[in-house]
Amino acid sequence: MNEQSGLSDQYKRASPWPLFVALGLALSEIGVFVGVFPVAVFGLLLFGGSVAGILTESGYTERPWSALVALGATLAVAGVVLIGWQVPVDQLTLENFGRNGILSRSLSLVAAGLTMAVAGAVAAAVEQTKH
Amino acid sequence: MAGEQLALTVFMAVLLVAIVAVLTRLEDWRSYTPLAGGGGVGYGDEATHGHEEKPGGLVRWLTTVDHKDIGILYGTFAIISFAVGGIMAFLIRVQLVVPSGAIVENAFYNSIMTSHGITMLFLFGTPIIAAFANYFIPLLIGADDMAFPRINAIAFWLLPPAALLIWAGFFVPTIDPAQTAWTMYTPLSIEQSMFGIDLMLLGLHLSGVSATMGAINFIATIFTERGEDVNWATLDIFSWTMLTQSGLILFAFPLLGSALIMLLLDRNLGTTFFTVGGGGPVLWQHLFWFFGHPEVYILVLPPMGIISYVLPKFSARKLFGFKFVVYSTLAIGVLSFGVWAHHMFTTGIDPRLRASFMAVSLAIAIPSAVKTFNWITTMWNGRLRMTAPMLFCIGFISNFIIGGVTGVFLASIPIDLVLHDTYYVVGHFHYIVMGAIGFAAFAGLYYWFPIFTGRMYQRTLAKWHFWLSMVGTNLTFFAMLVLGYLGMPRRYASYEFDGAIAPLAQVTTWHQIASLGALLLLAGSVILVWNLVQSWLEGPVVETGDPWNLEADNMKGRDFAWFEQKLKRERAITDGGEESSEDDSEPR
Repeated sequence: MNEQSGLSDQYKRASPWPLFVALGLALSEIGVFVGVFPVAVFGLLLFGGSVAGILTESGYTERPWSALVALGATLAVAGVVLIGWQVPVDQLTLENFGRNGILSRSLSLVAAGLTMAVAGAVAAAVEQTKH
Repeated sequence: MAGEQLALTVFMAVLLVAIVAVLTRLEDWRSYTPLAGGGGVGYGDEATHGHEEKPGGLVRWLTTVDHKDIGILYGTFAIISFAVGGIMAFLIRVQLVVPSGAIVENAFYNSIMTSHGITMLFLFGTPIIAAFANYFIPLLIGADDMAFPRINAIAFWLLPPAALLIWAGFFVPTIDPAQTAWTMYTPLSIEQSMFGIDLMLLGLHLSGVSATMGAINFIATIFTERGEDVNWATLDIFSWTMLTQSGLILFAFPLLGSALIMLLLDRNLGTTFFTVGGGGPVLWQHLFWFFGHPEVYILVLPPMGIISYVLPKFSARKLFGFKFVVYSTLAIGVLSFGVWAHHMFTTGIDPRLRASFMAVSLAIAIPSAVKTFNWITTMWNGRLRMTAPMLFCIGFISNFIIGGVTGVFLASIPIDLVLHDTYYVVGHFHYIVMGAIGFAAFAGLYYWFPIFTGRMYQRTLAKWHFWLSMVGTNLTFFAMLVLGYLGMPRRYASYEFDGAIAPLAQVTTWHQIASLGALLLLAGSVILVWNLVQSWLEGPVVETGDPWNLEADNMKGRDFAWFEQKLKRERAITDGGEESSEDDSEPR
């Protein structure tokens, strides 16, 4: 492989994304369900990023950033809705993070979602500026 | 605790950065930008691609979206799972040589019994079928690849994490493995507190996602990617069975996924889907078996397709009643969703419901018999060649008849009330899963070995494998049928009965016979693995595109026609011709 072109440019039947989409999905599922915050956030970031990457590589979107923002926003909204629906307002304290299972799981969705959305938006803005 | 969290966070962050670094090194994201005058850069947009198909070395296998490579990956994964599940099975049989249990603690016995079932069904059965289907469906229908090559790769890569989760209880010292049996019946599966169950359920869920993605891909491929000369009338029998199986997966696996999530919620978040005061434990059985019985046909239809495809090749006759074999496949597919409650005859469900499920269960014997008679009639007056794949095909039919007929007995309510939860049931379904599905997988492995590897396997070893498997299967599982008649309950880690309950001496003898059979099966399986590995590395190189001499009987299919073309292309390269677009690393 030369340094000018990427793997999927040079080889017709290769793509780096599927492995990471699968790994991201597996880690997200373990992290969110078992309730391990760092694994959940990392897994969701990997999953969201890889989905944005594979959508772009296969031509479904022009650039990955809009997909990243959309995925991130969906996750963050889902997390907020879950908190609003399942966690009483008086339990929304920093102390309860880690104790209330639904709160910390939902927050992992919000954290990963916001990170993705912000990263997508910043990247899009930077790219726009360069052009 | 906070320290652990911090360490985990740092580890995860480092991992994420490492993955981004690897991706940046491998891939040029900027190249995705559409060119000034061009369109998108979707798969198959030749202008943006280089000439080579795949990179070399490990990167090839980690990044491939080629259906043949993914088939090989599925196959390798399935063989490893078969070894793991097989060792567990062997330990089970060794344990039961004496009534008190010979080698392991009861808890460990329960764990390996649980994991043996899950491993063989979800990590061997489904993947080995996907291995054949991925490799051959595009070749058989004249497609360039699967309809969604990347989704195909994602579906495979979900399986290794799923396997690690399912087996986590065995290799992570702080986690106890599940002891629920593969059916995960509630309330037991809610009450057992071991973390291994949660991980196993998550692993199963991932494997279900993988199977569903694969099924969607096969349906889309068979509907939309057929070559110009392949229509519904000329579609081969293996593709028909894969299409039907994929339809079953599409309806069955999402339901399993939902039921697993409900069980996880019951276990961890205090929901009451399957508790006595809530939906009730029997609800789990309904949901599980609504998936579970079609799963039997998900596992057996494609192997039946392999038999229907391979058997005629060595009988020198076309498949007898091709249309009716297809119709019976479709009939089994439809009926398979109407028989689930025959697993629940003893739960106290409404007798009128039981009767209707008994009727449909008996009815499913008809299309199954249609297939059996058609296979026998295909061989009738044929010029039979007893190659290893043919022997496994005939072994399949023989074992399928015993497994099928014992199933007809179990479909009958009064008999099931007596034999339910005995070894008769275990013997019956092992005749199908090992004696039929396993044998078809072996038939496929040997038949297509020259295509997979460019080499021929060692024929004598293959015949040893067959006879050890045939004798071993019948010793082990026929003994189980007898054990069932003697009243031996399934799932027990020991069986020190009072003589008034069951004839202990006879039960012990039949258990020992079953274990002797397991020893033969183990020997056969070791020979299989040795043969596969050694022949792949050192077997005689196949020089002809028709190693089975099928041309003489006008039986050559598209698979070996493709293989012949491939060999020709490779010869052209050796002779100094132009490099072909095919990347095949086998030494010529």
